[in-house]
Amino acid sequence: MTQLLVGLIMIIFLALPPVAKIMESVMIIHMHMQMPMLIIAGFLIAKVFQERFPGFFDKWNRNGLPGIMLFIIIVSFWTLPRTMDEALNEQSMEVFKFISLPLLAGIPLRDSWKRLEKLGRNIVVILFTILFFAMGWLYVDAPVQLCNNYLVIDQIILGWGFLTTAICFVIYLGYVFFVDPSKYE
Amino acid sequence: METALNQTFKTKATKLLGVNKQDAKISKTYLFVSFVILLVGGFLGLAQGLNRAGLLELPSWLNYYQILTMHGVFMLLAFTTFFTFGYLYAGLSHELGGLLPKVRKIVWTAFASKIIGAVLVVIPILMNEASVMYTFYPPLKAHPMFYIGLVFFAVGMWLCNVGAFIQVANWRKNNKGKHVPIFSYFATGINVLMFFALIPVAVEVIYLIPWSFGWVKTVNVMVSRTLFWAFGHTLVNIWYLTATSAWYVIAPKLIGGRRWSDTLTRVVIIALVIMNITGGFHHQIIDPGISLPVKMMHVFMSLAIGFPSLMTAFALFAVFEKTARKQGGKGLIGWYKKMPWGDVRFLAVFIGMASFIPAGAGGIAQTTNQLDTVVHNTMWIVGHFHLTLGVTVALTFFGISYWLVPYISGRILTPQINKLGVIQTWIWTIGMIFMSGAMHTAGLFGSPRRTSYTTYGDHATALGWDPYMMCLAIGGTLLIVGIILQVYAVINMMFFAPKGETEFPIAEAEENASPTPYWTERWGIWIIVMLIVVAMAYVVPLTEFIVNGPPGSPGFKTW
Repeated sequence: MTQLLVGLIMIIFLALPPVAKIMESVMIIHMHMQMPMLIIAGFLIAKVFQERFPGFFDKWNRNGLPGIMLFIIIVSFWTLPRTMDEALNEQSMEVFKFISLPLLAGIPLRDSWKRLEKLGRNIVVILFTILFFAMGWLYVDAPVQLCNNYLVIDQIILGWGFLTTAICFVIYLGYVFFVDPSKYE
Repeated sequence: METALNQTFKTKATKLLGVNKQDAKISKTYLFVSFVILLVGGFLGLAQGLNRAGLLELPSWLNYYQILTMHGVFMLLAFTTFFTFGYLYAGLSHELGGLLPKVRKIVWTAFASKIIGAVLVVIPILMNEASVMYTFYPPLKAHPMFYIGLVFFAVGMWLCNVGAFIQVANWRKNNKGKHVPIFSYFATGINVLMFFALIPVAVEVIYLIPWSFGWVKTVNVMVSRTLFWAFGHTLVNIWYLTATSAWYVIAPKLIGGRRWSDTLTRVVIIALVIMNITGGFHHQIIDPGISLPVKMMHVFMSLAIGFPSLMTAFALFAVFEKTARKQGGKGLIGWYKKMPWGDVRFLAVFIGMASFIPAGAGGIAQTTNQLDTVVHNTMWIVGHFHLTLGVTVALTFFGISYWLVPYISGRILTPQINKLGVIQTWIWTIGMIFMSGAMHTAGLFGSPRRTSYTTYGDHATALGWDPYMMCLAIGGTLLIVGIILQVYAVINMMFFAPKGETEFPIAEAEENASPTPYWTERWGIWIIVMLIVVAMAYVVPLTEFIVNGPPGSPGFKTW
């Protein structure tokens, strides 16, 4: 219940016009802070859904794959320059952002992560590492504005944000592949 | 299995036989150097204070800015780090069954590197070739030797970090599935933080070296400042975390109590490690070239660090109250009487801790853009860091020395030295109230920092600061008395006090404690989370500063 409350408060706080405005005024904060926070809010809310509808999740997300696919699709969708622009220009897209990221990304992520095997989890991280390197390269190297609402410098910053996060994922993968936890645990 | 048995035997042997002689030598050397530096740095501080009050004319061969630089380098970089490692390695040796031979070698190599570094840093300052203050902001340009010295010093610190990692990893291999003992857990957190905080400043120093040699003509000032504060702020929190380790682990034992929740303690450490480096940005809150929304975001990131500190305040006062009530303390306030106020080991630590209430509040005020604009370049800031480092950290370190020095020296704390310590603590506290209070107030009235004595042509406003500067000088004089007493006490406990056994006071976990979850041990994950947070925080200003970078600045020697 506490998690549900925290999650809902997070969504309401992030949706407050001054908060949304300030976060969306900086491209990287829009994509790398507001959006992940919405996913985290959904992640927290997920527990109530899992408890109320265990049958639904067991039936449709038994091995975690459908959920993680949904998560990947939603997150990939929101990494596109066009979708960010639309969220800023169209009220309906902004509403969709606030619904899709918690409900269609946050909740399936929590439900799927525990159901996935270690290999599956690592594949997801590898996938996002590749995606982040690609998006980083795109945003850093694009000679023109990709979003009408943001300057070229904003997209270069976002590009470096993608690249540095991808490097962190690589470090994580290195940690998972080279450190044997059975030596310590 | 055999190694595990050996390790258990070693652990028990160390606990029964007391301190390991070879390890004690390491801690003793580090602490001795630390307190010698404190003494020299203290006299430099006194000279500064008296000069600012207009009471002392400095000789032509030693100017205010040389002293200011040396005081900063000695107190902020050398005193604290030598003490921290002396203290942490004593604890690691005690808890983890003695240091490994290779770790000892690493720590001695680190010591040599740091001493070489310190000498290389001090020589150009004495030659008046590096009066760039301890922040060494470009475009102030020091002699190359100054920056090379800093590299040696940083390498020394890194080696100490690596030594601690090897020691802890070895213990974990031999004690599979167990939680790293709490003091060593603190040591791990502190070393992780230091290891990563040194990276940005090392990058800065490495590109300042060719610039100081003149091989590169210009330097990007804003990038340098940002890289410096990613380290500078974290360094502050490394001292704070070191002091916190004594509050959580040692203080409860000294008052006859038990530790607060083991899980909460470890969560506080993890939270401080993850969120700290990004806090550096609030030191640049009035720097140009950073957009307001970004500054706004950083206010939240900085304030987030306050959260674990509030958890700490709650936990510690809860421990005090619980223990005092068990010992018969009554009433809303009355239980305070049951605390061992006559024991310097507690008194100094308690005052250090209590002073963090105003010090932390001041820090939160400075994190706010509008409030910081009023005080940023004034004596207020100097007052603030004398309250945080000079009281919270220094008094906690002093309190630690009254059991740590006898412990590593195989001696005891005599009632006379305890009494001297209590007097020293009060002198120090009163001195700092005078000095830091005067600095805060004069700062509010506009008295600038980083400036030698001047009346600005007898301007009325500047003359209005004089009474506060006089208070500053009085405080400074009391503080030097405090330092002399403290160093005397340390030397006495190290070499002359009666021989005997002193305990390394680590408090037990609370009764009926719920088990600590194992995820607290997964440092690999926490480090990656920290790196992501750091990447997110610094990518915005650094990319802007580099992509939209100005032509850069040549070096200046303004002194």
